[in-house]
Amino acid sequence: MTKFRKFGALLLAAALLTGTAACSGGSGSSSAPAADNNNTAATTPDAGTPAPDAAAPAASGDKKVVTFFHRWPNEPKNPIFTAYVNDFMAANSDIEIQMDCVLNDSYKEKVRVLVSGNSVPDVFSSWSGSFAENLVSSGNVLALDDMLAADTAFKDSFIESQVGPFTFDGKVYGLPMSMDGKAFFYNKDIFSANNLSVPKTLDELYAAMDTLKAAGFETPLIEGLADAWAVSHYEGTIISRLLDPAVMAKDTNKSTGEFTDPAYIEALNIFKKLTEYMGDAASGLDHETARNMFVAGEVPLIYCQLAEIRIINGETSLDTGASLGFEYDFFNFPSIAGGKGDQTGLTGAPEGFMLSNKAQNPDEAQKFFKYILSVESGERMTKEAGEISAIKGAVNENSASPEINRAVDMILSATSSVPWYDNAVEASIGDAFMRGGQSLAIGDMTAEEVMADVQNVAAEVRAANPQ
Amino acid sequence: MLFIAPCILMLLVFVYVPLVQNFVFSFESFSAFSQERAFIGLQNYKTLFGDKVVGTAIRNNIYYAVISVIFQVFGGLILASALEDNAFRRISPLFRTTFFLPVLVSMTVICLLFSFIYHPQIGLLNNFLEHIGLEALTRQWLGSSKTAIFAVIAMSQWQSIGYIMMLFIVAIQKIPEDLYEAADIDGANKIQRFLNITFPQVQEMFFVTMIVTVIGAFTVFNEPYILAKGGGPGTSSMTLAVHMYQSAFVRDRMGYASTVAVLIFLITAALSVIQTVAFGGDNTESKKDKKRKGAANRG
Repeated sequence: MTKFRKFGALLLAAALLTGTAACSGGSGSSSAPAADNNNTAATTPDAGTPAPDAAAPAASGDKKVVTFFHRWPNEPKNPIFTAYVNDFMAANSDIEIQMDCVLNDSYKEKVRVLVSGNSVPDVFSSWSGSFAENLVSSGNVLALDDMLAADTAFKDSFIESQVGPFTFDGKVYGLPMSMDGKAFFYNKDIFSANNLSVPKTLDELYAAMDTLKAAGFETPLIEGLADAWAVSHYEGTIISRLLDPAVMAKDTNKSTGEFTDPAYIEALNIFKKLTEYMGDAASGLDHETARNMFVAGEVPLIYCQLAEIRIINGETSLDTGASLGFEYDFFNFPSIAGGKGDQTGLTGAPEGFMLSNKAQNPDEAQKFFKYILSVESGERMTKEAGEISAIKGAVNENSASPEINRAVDMILSATSSVPWYDNAVEASIGDAFMRGGQSLAIGDMTAEEVMADVQNVAAEVRAANPQ
Repeated sequence: MLFIAPCILMLLVFVYVPLVQNFVFSFESFSAFSQERAFIGLQNYKTLFGDKVVGTAIRNNIYYAVISVIFQVFGGLILASALEDNAFRRISPLFRTTFFLPVLVSMTVICLLFSFIYHPQIGLLNNFLEHIGLEALTRQWLGSSKTAIFAVIAMSQWQSIGYIMMLFIVAIQKIPEDLYEAADIDGANKIQRFLNITFPQVQEMFFVTMIVTVIGAFTVFNEPYILAKGGGPGTSSMTLAVHMYQSAFVRDRMGYASTVAVLIFLITAALSVIQTVAFGGDNTESKKDKKRKGAANRG
């Protein structure tokens, strides 16, 4: 009997070990364009619990309370926000900041409920584009134009192109904290060993990948297609290259979108062709695995967010311990011959903060808002969290790696900023594109079938949003 | 009356009012972002019947139910009677614990674990198949629309069989020993003992587990949502509950999601009525209790 007990204990220990290994290894959260979507597994936030060391609940007697809600309960950003709050309260003893945070997907749901209800947090983080627009449509978000007109130095401290995605009906409703872009990251060593230069056009990209394939790289390009948002990043960029901007404007509008332009089918076929370079395994991989394959030097090419630079460089807590054994660089999605869109636009959207127009202490809330969006705060965020700050001057040689500085140059030199596609179109249309894209990649659907599905969904969306 | 008032109140607030509200919502169109709701009559139901994903989802739920009944209910019963057999008396506590262990592990953890097993490159399953010379059988388990739902179902069987087995063990332990003694004297072998004593004696438990398993299969959400990343690839491993969730929180069509919820309710209600009627031949008091318990599970 004791023998069996021992064996049982051993088995249990083994099972527990496997369990822990699984927990620490699989970290990808699948939430889309969020900058640090790969940095989320370590902590499981307890929704609705205020961060312990931010703001003690008592002592709000004669202090003016400002509530602050953001989506970073994890390293490395949470300690920085906690420090912001503590520093700010130390400097302003009459103000108390009550900070609360939940992780990505829960944040999406919770902030929607809070903002459309009556308990709007005074200062809160938001993605740009349609997500922000939805929040603004609740009527509870403060338009910042008066504040910006009164403080032009503050207004001018942001990179202009990054304020646009927070502007709706000519009014600014949010200001950017960080910015991002999507680019092909390539292994410089492998590229030079095969005498390849940076592809400028899609055909050059195909040619480069064919060369790599001939050189023995079975999958010259990789992506985790199981992550639906990764599919939408490809689709969005290709569509923005091909589609006439006027049609794009018409189709991204909920009440007029028809999605009948033949360019969509062409775009999906290009996506399909690109997935063929990724091999069969891509459909079962997530983005994090795909990125690890790039970092391991197995795959020479991957379409990544610039916000992932610090992960690729091994500068985060997710560091695998292995240092990058090669040099890499990145280039924008190549131009597509015959495309009617901007051939040098960069896909990527900023993320930032908004203010409530229901705040009890609006002046104090604004003061805190300006504090977290100051150059110093931005510099700190860049330095400590590798954030690509959208505040002018916050990313510099002291605060960031050369790659991040190059990324900023790339964002600033882009001729236009293309929003993440799943944020640009109505959510259900985006979903149809993403799931359709997955089915397309594994051969379950053709481009025509995907678009027929999208058109059906678009018809429902039009019906629900009359002009 | 006063004593059951709190219970009635809780039931009203948390079960019946939401249920009725859901029926009302299913005739409306609204977004989570706004307080406004528009009455659109039967439009949502029209969409429901034309929705290809609903077809896929129902098919997947049926696979789930059938496979779960075969593996969990029948498999669980066989496991339970094997473990209760005298031959395994000495080691059965160990196996009981081993089989029951997955039930205690959180579904999220199990899904992470199985995402490693099914991983196309480093996955244990594919590696195992390669090592035993069955390379032809390696698949993109979660990356192909043909296998994704079955990969998910297989994980569920592994996780839940221990629970059903435990229920059967409890039932088998309640069978009077003298029945087996009498059978032994009559010279019955193990299979005969199982078919003629164990099986009829655990019939009540059999019905309960059937209801629990089938209802569970039609409301399954966690497994396909986590392991197959929301019913992917494409919509191939959608179940009704995942489709409802996606409609509500991804596509932001709350009204339509309520309609899908109504469909789930109707299916599960119909199934439990059928099962209660079909298995309700005997009128013993204890049997009625069991059935009530089974019915309560659907709430």
